Amino acid sequence: MLEAIHGLNIALPIMYIITFTLYVIAFFNDDSGLNNIKRVFLFLACTTHIFYLLVRTIEFNHPPITSKFEIFTVLAFAIACSYFILELVTDIRGTGLFIIFFSVLFQVISTFYIQDLMEVREVLRNRMLGMHVISALLGYSGITISAVYGLLFLVLYKDIKLNKFSIIFDRLPSLETLENMSFISLVIGFLLLTISITIGIIWLPGAFPDFSFFDPKLISTALVWLVYGTGILIKLFGIWYGKRVIMFSLTGFVIAMFSLLLSNIFASSFHSFY
Amino acid sequence: MNIVGISINHRNSPVELREELHLNREEIIDYIPRLKNYLSEGFVLSTCNRTEIFGYPESEKVDVDGIINSLKDFKPVKNFNDKNYDRYFSCGAVKHIFSVSTGIDSLILGDSQILGQVKEAIELSKDLDFAGATTNRLFDTAIKVGRRAIKETLIGEGAVTVSYAAVQVIEKIFANLDKKHALVIGAGETGELAAVHLRDKGVGRITIANRTYEKAEKLAEKIHGDIIPLKNVGEDLHHFDIVVSATSSSDYIISKDDVKKMMRKRRGTPVCLMDIAVPRDIDPKVKDIENVFYNDIDSLQIIVKQNMKKREKEIPLVEEIIMDEMVSYFGWYNTLEVVPTIKSIREFFEEIRQDELSKIRHKVTEDDYAKLENMTRRMVGRLLHNPTMKLKEVAESGANASQITAHTIIAKELFGINNGKHQNNE
Repeated sequence: MLEAIHGLNIALPIMYIITFTLYVIAFFNDDSGLNNIKRVFLFLACTTHIFYLLVRTIEFNHPPITSKFEIFTVLAFAIACSYFILELVTDIRGTGLFIIFFSVLFQVISTFYIQDLMEVREVLRNRMLGMHVISALLGYSGITISAVYGLLFLVLYKDIKLNKFSIIFDRLPSLETLENMSFISLVIGFLLLTISITIGIIWLPGAFPDFSFFDPKLISTALVWLVYGTGILIKLFGIWYGKRVIMFSLTGFVIAMFSLLLSNIFASSFHSFY
Repeated sequence: MNIVGISINHRNSPVELREELHLNREEIIDYIPRLKNYLSEGFVLSTCNRTEIFGYPESEKVDVDGIINSLKDFKPVKNFNDKNYDRYFSCGAVKHIFSVSTGIDSLILGDSQILGQVKEAIELSKDLDFAGATTNRLFDTAIKVGRRAIKETLIGEGAVTVSYAAVQVIEKIFANLDKKHALVIGAGETGELAAVHLRDKGVGRITIANRTYEKAEKLAEKIHGDIIPLKNVGEDLHHFDIVVSATSSSDYIISKDDVKKMMRKRRGTPVCLMDIAVPRDIDPKVKDIENVFYNDIDSLQIIVKQNMKKREKEIPLVEEIIMDEMVSYFGWYNTLEVVPTIKSIREFFEEIRQDELSKIRHKVTEDDYAKLENMTRRMVGRLLHNPTMKLKEVAESGANASQITAHTIIAKELFGINNGKHQNNE
């Protein structure tokens, strides 16, 4: 089983790189012939990744959330899988390379640094923690995908405003589509983040003796949740449209990443397991 | 029998001459009987940018001058001389017809309308009994070439007119055009084209505004839209997601303040302003307003030029398709000459066989006669198998006409066949 895990650990970044390359070629050559092939490769990569995560969980007797690099592989999977579902549902195929890039990045880092951790803190084997972390990761994946679409929106917005009709103009879907995809990803990410926070609030106080509501990570997560929640309400009530909503969403993303960085690296927290 | 034709187009004639020589449907119906004095079968294709007359001559003598003179008699125009048309024969004529149907010979490269116009010309020829087997085969191949060019290349892709480029930009801004409301200001040629494009793209609702109410009404009826008076445009502007302006006004119809008010009433929802008028109808400073997308003719021309370059890159691929279909067409055409020769040779051999059999009819029993008949039939079949296959092979290989002719002449001379009759020198 260990050999299989190591083999898959090497195979996964290769599969993601091949998939990413296919998306890049299709984008720059406007090659509709590759449309189905690239989707098949993405499906294969995601399926292989599910298998990898399951095998790791079984072999090491804990979900792969006990180290940064285990989190990275789960994040890579969450982003790829979320995009695959989004592409299937919307049939918008020209934006994959911008999303799958992040899966490649996270998986490559994970492949290089991930360790086979047999011995971990008992709390990390807990299923509730697993659900809490995985829903949080899925939430942040949704937010990341939303941010990518937001950036693409801004790039296309600027190009159209400046009458620049480059490959970006040709290949990307419409501004309205990018805005909608950004919003849908954001809503899904927000809902999953809400589930994660809810599980955390219900379960964490009992699981950790040194639990505190003033924990830096909790504060930063709450801040992110409030920013995104506000953004969603602004959009739903039609207070802002188009570029303003996107800018607000991207600001939220920057705050999210910044606060995650701060709370993970600089602040001590009961959340620190590794 | 070789196809001949003339082509009056944007390369050899100015637009005024092309307009004067244009034949509408009724005129073509009247003209074709005159053409039948020169061509046994053919067609006439006449659009705003070209008039093509092609066909197969009545006699072996090719009389292109006759065709030209018949056109001049039918449509007397001044300043129509030899420089204003191109002559085509045989392979060149077929290649030209295929080039026309693919759109690579059009004024706007990759013109999507020409194939439909070619089909109409063909149907009219058939209705007027001017299309025989050869012309029908040529037409079928021309349509096939046109369809292949559309399907297998990008020759017809992308906007190559300003109106269509405007629609391309609109599609890059809005996703669900069926939920959008568009305003077209100006019911002239440009405005009409824009309105038709918007309708074809599925814009949910189109409103027309024009200085002359009757013109607005006519255009609205054509595209199933509605009308507002031009003077109401300012106060109603916020209802529209898309505004296309194409008037001949010398002043701005829509100012920056109008658009600011519009955006306040729309609460900032994106709007697309396409100014395809010269001089411009909309103050270009509106592009500074957030969520307002403004394009004028200059910026739309950038898209047109880019798309034209892409189409130009497709020309070699289209030419390959044309060559491919020309080989196939001439492969079939050459068999027309070969088939009668093969038939004549077979008839010659059969005549000899029957003649010899008749000489021994009463000298052998019925059974022996039947055996001799079978044997001689098989012998003739085997003897003629190779010559027949060889002649067909040469014809279907797409070899040029002179090679085919040489083979058939040799075959006829070897067996003493002239004009379908053999010369038996026994």
